[in-house]
Amino acid sequence: MAEVVLQNVIKTYGNLYAVNDVSLTVNDGEFIALVGPSGCGKTTTLNLIAGLLPMSGGDISIGNRIVNDLDPKDRDIAMVFQNYALYPNKTVYKNLAFPLQMRKLPKEEIDRKVQDAARLLDITHLLDRKPRELSGGQQQRVALGRALVRDPAVFLMDEPLSNLDAKLRVQMRSEIKRFHHNLNATVVYVTHDQLEAVTMADKMAVMSGGLLQQYDTPANVFANPVNTFVASFVGSPAMSLIPLEAVGNALRSPEGWELPLSQLNARKAANSTTNKIVLGARHSTLKLHKAATPGAVPGKVYTVEPTGDVTFAQVFINGAVVNISLEPTARIEPDEMVWVEFDQERMHLFDAETTMALKAI
Amino acid sequence: MTDTTATRIRPVVKKPVDWWRWAGRVFLTFLLLFTVLPMAWMILTSVKSQFAAMQYPPQWWPAEPTLNNYFKLLDPTQRIGQDFLRYFWNSFYVSLLTTILGVVVAVPAAYAFSRFRFPGRNFMFFAVLVRNMFPAVVFLMPLFLLMRWMGLVNTHGSLILTYLTFGLPLSIWLLKGFYDNIPIQLEQAARIDGATRLQAFLLIVMPLSTPGIIATSIFSFIGAWNEYVYAYTFLSRDDQMTLPVGIQRFFTEFATDWPGLMAATFLMSVPVVVMFLVLQKYFVRALTEGAVKH
Amino acid sequence: MSTITGQAAGPSAARAVQKKPNIVSRIIKHRADYLYVLPALIVMLVVIAFPIYYTIELSFFRTPPNLQMKDKIWTGLSNYSLVLNSSVFHEVTIQTIIWTLASTVFSFLLGLGAALSLHREFVGRGVLRALLLIPYVISAVAASYVWKWLYHSDFGVIGAISVALGFTDEPINFLDNRQTVLASLIVVNIWKEFSFAMVMLMAGLQTVPDQLHRAAMVDGANTWDRFWHVTFPHLKGVSMVTILLLMVANFNSFIIPFVMTGGGPADASHIWITHIYQLAFGRQQWGAASAYAVILFVVMMTLGYFYVKALTRGDETRQGA
Repeated sequence: MAEVVLQNVIKTYGNLYAVNDVSLTVNDGEFIALVGPSGCGKTTTLNLIAGLLPMSGGDISIGNRIVNDLDPKDRDIAMVFQNYALYPNKTVYKNLAFPLQMRKLPKEEIDRKVQDAARLLDITHLLDRKPRELSGGQQQRVALGRALVRDPAVFLMDEPLSNLDAKLRVQMRSEIKRFHHNLNATVVYVTHDQLEAVTMADKMAVMSGGLLQQYDTPANVFANPVNTFVASFVGSPAMSLIPLEAVGNALRSPEGWELPLSQLNARKAANSTTNKIVLGARHSTLKLHKAATPGAVPGKVYTVEPTGDVTFAQVFINGAVVNISLEPTARIEPDEMVWVEFDQERMHLFDAETTMALKAI
Repeated sequence: MTDTTATRIRPVVKKPVDWWRWAGRVFLTFLLLFTVLPMAWMILTSVKSQFAAMQYPPQWWPAEPTLNNYFKLLDPTQRIGQDFLRYFWNSFYVSLLTTILGVVVAVPAAYAFSRFRFPGRNFMFFAVLVRNMFPAVVFLMPLFLLMRWMGLVNTHGSLILTYLTFGLPLSIWLLKGFYDNIPIQLEQAARIDGATRLQAFLLIVMPLSTPGIIATSIFSFIGAWNEYVYAYTFLSRDDQMTLPVGIQRFFTEFATDWPGLMAATFLMSVPVVVMFLVLQKYFVRALTEGAVKH
Repeated sequence: MSTITGQAAGPSAARAVQKKPNIVSRIIKHRADYLYVLPALIVMLVVIAFPIYYTIELSFFRTPPNLQMKDKIWTGLSNYSLVLNSSVFHEVTIQTIIWTLASTVFSFLLGLGAALSLHREFVGRGVLRALLLIPYVISAVAASYVWKWLYHSDFGVIGAISVALGFTDEPINFLDNRQTVLASLIVVNIWKEFSFAMVMLMAGLQTVPDQLHRAAMVDGANTWDRFWHVTFPHLKGVSMVTILLLMVANFNSFIIPFVMTGGGPADASHIWITHIYQLAFGRQQWGAASAYAVILFVVMMTLGYFYVKALTRGDETRQGA
């Protein structure tokens, strides 16, 4: 096991920056998730760590050893691919044995390790099959097995669950988490699904446009998103964002209403580069009133989505769609006028110009 | 009364005649006759004596079928048999060598065109493909001189080298299609699992491209086996000739021996037809690959 | 608090890296890649680049019949004017066009009909397809001899059948008649290659989504409408490639006319290729033959451009390492 350090890593294609000056440290035994929308550079970053792509700049070290110019085979890593990349012409046994054969291990040792891995992942009965005879979940397990037989320093996983159906994905999610827990392995996990990152990772690195936006524990990223991108990317449903204008100690809407701010929030708003502010709030922090209430702002109900244990209402406020969670017993209809109350303690203010979260200095 | 109620409950729907389907059947029958009759006549003629073949009106069915023409061609104690068997061997030898060399040269090139993006790639690819466009005749004169200069005239080397080049574009194109379809993640996985680039290619990619290699091999082999123009121009020595050219000598020497010629034609076609029938799947795939993508 | 090393950087944070590297350094960077193509490249260079250069050179000289290059005489464009002004050239050009277009059009139509008829699953379909493909597989030399025998002036079975059916009073001498010879050869050519079009179009038909057909049926389209509005648009790409390949093959075909008639009678079945061959290897007019070849070459390049374009469509969008 080892730690992984990226320092000012850059990857360019012509004039395009696929990875733009990314620095982060993965501590020994940590499970981190690289997360972001497609094209954000997360898979490229993973391929750079694996050594499958040459870097354009920066340094990568694995276990205190700079690996910039090392071949993938010499980096002591294992990788699980989105499409599993099982060798289709080899049996499961041969697939698992391949990394060991490449390292010229004696036959008995290979056999022992393959059997061990197969037992650990409960695929012993599949060893003689070819990959195409396996279900998606079984292929996934074989891919994991091939990664772990070698006992590598770092596991790299590239969207390993995205080819599975929803139910299996949830199941494999907990299996991979358990796998990490048992082996205490260092894992770098790429996903476009923020829910996977939040549920599985010790830390998540949110990327967008080749840039690292925020790198922190899921709880911290959830509670303190550094900018509007992270705010709208993490959480389901995402944080609702309403563009407003700061006037004195209040936020004003062109629709005519004003939302008074607490002292702390007013100090934050004052730090904005312009008076344009984006107000962010998560669905659970909002309260919905059917009649005008002091401190609440008016909106119009768009849709109501009952999900069973909680009902979501989407409300238009100042042109923005705001998600609010309600008791399942709540009776409200589309096109109804409602008043929404914000929680001053748990609201977020962003600078509309720089998109960064505003702090009270 | 009962009749009408029955009709009402379960109306007898008269299915309209599907004219298109019938047109298709008639058309296929016509095509089948068009294709098969000439071949059938070739075989029928080949089992006639020369006397029986030269009759008007023709014997529609051979009155006294005989395999003499085949025995003559395959009899190594007679001069005709010796010649024919030598031509047959020459053709086989040239075609086989062309095929093997073609695979050896085409595999790395196709792989590079599929995987790498190096400067000049498109130009080279274009150049290689465009070779298909040129008629043999354009190359005939200069190649004849080139072969004379290299001392290859009247050797099989001249044919193999030439056949290689007109087999290569297609082979490279076909194999590139196969490599394009092998996910690059497989090689990446192999390289992470401890293989070098070469090992990843040899141990993982090569076995997966076997169908492609078979397909291209059939093509090179059949192309070389059937080639006529270069063999006709480059070879003048009797003992070097390949079948398509050698057979012409039969024709001129035994100008009126049509049954013998038909038997020789039949024997010449047997290897490629058998090969085609056995490996039909690959052949058809090779033929259509590239033109029918996605 | 955990280690936070990378915070959101401004979009211009790392723009100080180099611009697009120049061609030389790119070639050097990719030098290992060239090793893979090198063997193919060498073979192609020797057997293609040299002949092309050589043909062009020859076309500007008068070269003695024995091809002693040191005795060649510069004649400028006179070989070209010789070829372009000869009446045989005009006649042969028309024959080449007829040969190429008729062979292509009929092969394609027969192939299309066969592909559509064979698209429906039925017993013996595979056998039928294999049978229809045999002429395509066997050598053109074999085909030529077989058909030469079928067309034989005295004992040919085609002549005998047409007499037996009362079409003619006596057997027609198909191959020794200026009126019938080209058409007779075209029939042989179609016999040999229509199944190529068939296979290509069958593969193309498989790419037509079944759902579209069902949707069209629900929308009330009849068989013809479904062909015209659903099937045919899907076949456009394949058809283009098929027609191009057929045209190239027909334009370049040599064996059938050469073996069956040698271009005769009285040049009536010559096409460009056989004519060039005759000029070069029959009459040793190397210069004229080369000029002829260069003209042909230019025509082929034009076709070739469309061929490669049709073939490589979509290729550039693919990503590689």
